[in-house]
Amino acid sequence: MDCPAKNIAALAFGALLTAGCGSETNIHLELGTTHEPYAPPETAVVLPPIEVREGDGLPDTLPEDLVWITNDEDPVFASPDAKRGGTFHTSISGFPLTLRRVGPDSNGSFAGFLRPNQFGPIALHPDTRRAIPALATHWAFGADGRSIYYRLNPKARWSDGVPVTADDFVFAVQFMRSKAIVAPWYNNYYTERIRDLKRYDDHTYGVQGANAMPGAEMHGSYGIGPQPRHFHVLNEDWVANTNWQIEPNTGPYQVTKVRKGKYLEMTRKADWWGNDLRYFKHRFNPDKIRVDVIRDPNVAFQHFLKGNLDTMGLVLPQYWHDKATGAAFDRGYIVKYWFYNEQPEASGMYLNMSDPILADERVRFGIAHSMDFERVITTVLRNDYDRLSTFQIGFGDYDNNDIQPREFDLDKADAYFDAAGFETRGGDGIRINDAGQRLSFQVTYGWPQHTDRLVVLQEEARKAGLELVLDLKDGPGSFKKMLEKKHQIAWSGWAAGGLAPGYWEHFHSVNANKTQTNNITNHANPRMDPLIMQYRASTSLEERVRLARILEQMVHDSGVVVPTFRVPYTRAGAWRWVKLPESLAPRTSASMFSAFADTGGFSGGGLFWIDLEEKERTLEAKSDGESFGPTTIVNTTYRVQPAS
Amino acid sequence: MKTATTDSRLADSASGRSPQRPSRLREGFTINPQTVKQWRRFRSIKRGYYSAVALVVALILSAGAELLVNGRALIVSYDGELYFPTYGDIIPGNTFGRDYEYETDYRDLKALFKEQDRGNWVLMPPVPYGPLENDLIPGYFPPYAPSFESGHYLGTDQTGRDVLARLIYGFRIAFAFAFLLLLCNYLIGIAVGCAMGFWGGVFDLLFQRVIEIWNMVPSLYVIMIVTSIVIPNFWTLAVVMVIFGWTQMTWNMRTSTYKEKTREYVLAARALGASNTRQIGSHVIPNTISVIVSFIPFSIAGGIFLLTALDYLGFGLPPPTPSWGELLAQGQNHIVTAPWIILSVGISISIVLIMVNYIGEAVREAFDPKKHAYYQ
Repeated sequence: MDCPAKNIAALAFGALLTAGCGSETNIHLELGTTHEPYAPPETAVVLPPIEVREGDGLPDTLPEDLVWITNDEDPVFASPDAKRGGTFHTSISGFPLTLRRVGPDSNGSFAGFLRPNQFGPIALHPDTRRAIPALATHWAFGADGRSIYYRLNPKARWSDGVPVTADDFVFAVQFMRSKAIVAPWYNNYYTERIRDLKRYDDHTYGVQGANAMPGAEMHGSYGIGPQPRHFHVLNEDWVANTNWQIEPNTGPYQVTKVRKGKYLEMTRKADWWGNDLRYFKHRFNPDKIRVDVIRDPNVAFQHFLKGNLDTMGLVLPQYWHDKATGAAFDRGYIVKYWFYNEQPEASGMYLNMSDPILADERVRFGIAHSMDFERVITTVLRNDYDRLSTFQIGFGDYDNNDIQPREFDLDKADAYFDAAGFETRGGDGIRINDAGQRLSFQVTYGWPQHTDRLVVLQEEARKAGLELVLDLKDGPGSFKKMLEKKHQIAWSGWAAGGLAPGYWEHFHSVNANKTQTNNITNHANPRMDPLIMQYRASTSLEERVRLARILEQMVHDSGVVVPTFRVPYTRAGAWRWVKLPESLAPRTSASMFSAFADTGGFSGGGLFWIDLEEKERTLEAKSDGESFGPTTIVNTTYRVQPAS
Repeated sequence: MKTATTDSRLADSASGRSPQRPSRLREGFTINPQTVKQWRRFRSIKRGYYSAVALVVALILSAGAELLVNGRALIVSYDGELYFPTYGDIIPGNTFGRDYEYETDYRDLKALFKEQDRGNWVLMPPVPYGPLENDLIPGYFPPYAPSFESGHYLGTDQTGRDVLARLIYGFRIAFAFAFLLLLCNYLIGIAVGCAMGFWGGVFDLLFQRVIEIWNMVPSLYVIMIVTSIVIPNFWTLAVVMVIFGWTQMTWNMRTSTYKEKTREYVLAARALGASNTRQIGSHVIPNTISVIVSFIPFSIAGGIFLLTALDYLGFGLPPPTPSWGELLAQGQNHIVTAPWIILSVGISISIVLIMVNYIGEAVREAFDPKKHAYYQ
């Protein structure tokens, strides 16, 4: 540690590893070795015990009447043909600003590589959507309806060999509540939503949340993951000190090589504790994952065509139909995969009710009837996308499939706009009311590639006498404007996830007319508020499903959301040597070539493998100009027929 | 071989660049013989001259683009009455017996009239598409390739808009923007630069520092911030550009003014009691005109390039404004699948910028003071 560190990264890694000056920034973790027993570092600030509020708190001793549950009966979804080995090449668009998982700058795209390697107590089965064991082997629900108890797998280890114990979960709450991590969102969540966490023995602990909900959903909200207690030295320098430290994790892969600005490499742990678990067997197959930094998507695509990258997402119609063509595809070196999945989706035009004109529901209905989504789908989107029928969908039983979206119908639009007082048209064909106000709204959006869709809608809407002014901002800028509720119409979408739809954050009146809340329509309906609260508090799945369908209908009736498109599939191209199970992916999979457990909130990733013999064959065929014939594999098992 | 002018003051005064020496060319209309010489010299540089002619013609044509490239008809004859929809308010479809209230689809109307054959007719412009119209064919996916049959002579972009129409309207906007920028930048730049050079001293020192500091503000970031607050339009963009663009001209004007104000004729004017305004307006500026004029073409090219770059990056004029930068960005995405987009806009940009540079070169030559000295 005394020799001059070549850069900050080496310095930081030095603290983590054994003494000595690392060569450049290449460091190698000794994986799977056992370490000395835990002793708290001297420099650490002593964290206060978890504070429990009046009315909250778990019992001091483990309740005896708990019914311990596990799940070893759901179908396995990994392919037994999978082979270990090889390196999987992928890319990200920018080098991460930090290797931390929380704190400033930790929300970049590399978080998608770090976070799935920190397992929680349970995971969700990607087909049945039920809980399956991860760090915990068993779980039980408390009598108060808002607490869960977990029993940890004694085999579970951090990547440095230290066992995962209940203390790491206690520490997780202390850690997330600490100001030292500079993460207000986590501070708040672990104080407001997580009310208590208690250790009963080394491998048993309980957690209590703020409100009651059905068991399955409680896992998602309260089943927090552990933090390595033996690793973190929480003091005011924590953010700076941990910037480039490699934190021990519980998943199959660990970062082992960092070349600043160029690439990162992750290596599979030699004897990962989860190797033989029912739902983890035959998964996470490549030995190494090499993540190159390629800033421009067009350049990344060229690398893919050369075989420098193993796979490439082809979700966008332009990529699938236009770019993914040529010799490598025609000769079958690259295989195209199209998998229809069941993922929650919510994207739409969100009309701001605090705008005086949009406050009139007739105007909102008129707008919905002026939007020709069909035309966009059949031309610009090449018939790939479907019309989304309602605010959110893709939650299984919760979906209200009776709702039909308001269709493009100029006569209906005319009738609504006339009724709202916009009867005459100005010289430019746009409607005006008696007060001289034009029927013109700004549409705020943050993706330049959506301009195509909007200009078509814009031209068609003119026929109804409605003007849309396109307000393109950069991504964060558009979202900021929406959260500050300064928009008129927000063209956006939500990363809807989890097992059940959410209504409180989007439609409850306490979140209306307030900045930084997700109620971007400023929707407030006194009839709806009590139903939302009832939905939130209910622990009966049946009742929640009933309420969710009513609430979805009410959202539709209010007209504050004009649902736009749903992308009912995931698509990718992959070189021939990257193999997938026969079914391609489980039903909830958001990406077929996710290297890690989590994809779209369910544990359906890490199923592919690299076939090294096939790789040799393919490269030989490529150099000889031999063809395997074009190959496109489509799986429509989970295709839902589009609305209308 | 010309003799180098050793004494530039001598050369200048001898060449009669002092504006008090007009020569009578025709009754009632005088042109400085200097200007005549410069014009002849300009005309003699062929590629610059022809570029100027071509560009002026293009500008005049683009000013009347509505008559050449438009989705609106030039003339509609319906039931014995003539309509001229090109300029002004929209004419709703029900005027011509259609069943809708929105703007008439004239291409459709033309086909209908032809079919009905009742003496009604529609005269469309040579390119029957507007720059904002999505000509989408259900079942076929844009961009559509160039075709004479459909009237998309340069094909369409990825939303079915005519590339030629967007090129021409984009050209007009880019040129207007560059001209406006030029005018404002030069007005401010010349005024401030002259003042700095003329008064010198503390005023000069102070403004030099102000400009140096001002130049350090990264204008691209300011534009990004501005576009994140308001929807940028032609005028806001121009204002922001002027705020950061005027400084360039000040340095040249300051130096020239310093040089000119010590000349005998300015001293003489001052000795005769001419006011500061008169000294600057009648003596200094007219004698620095060659500096100003030779910069103009390059400033225009710079202005066009700037707007194109901003549009390309997505910080320029909001969609769906026709713009070369936006076409360029689209073309880059479709470089293999729809090469007509990048070819159209790439060639257009190259030609225009080359022409403007040829003009600039010719102007600089024409205004070169050494060419007009008597001692050659």
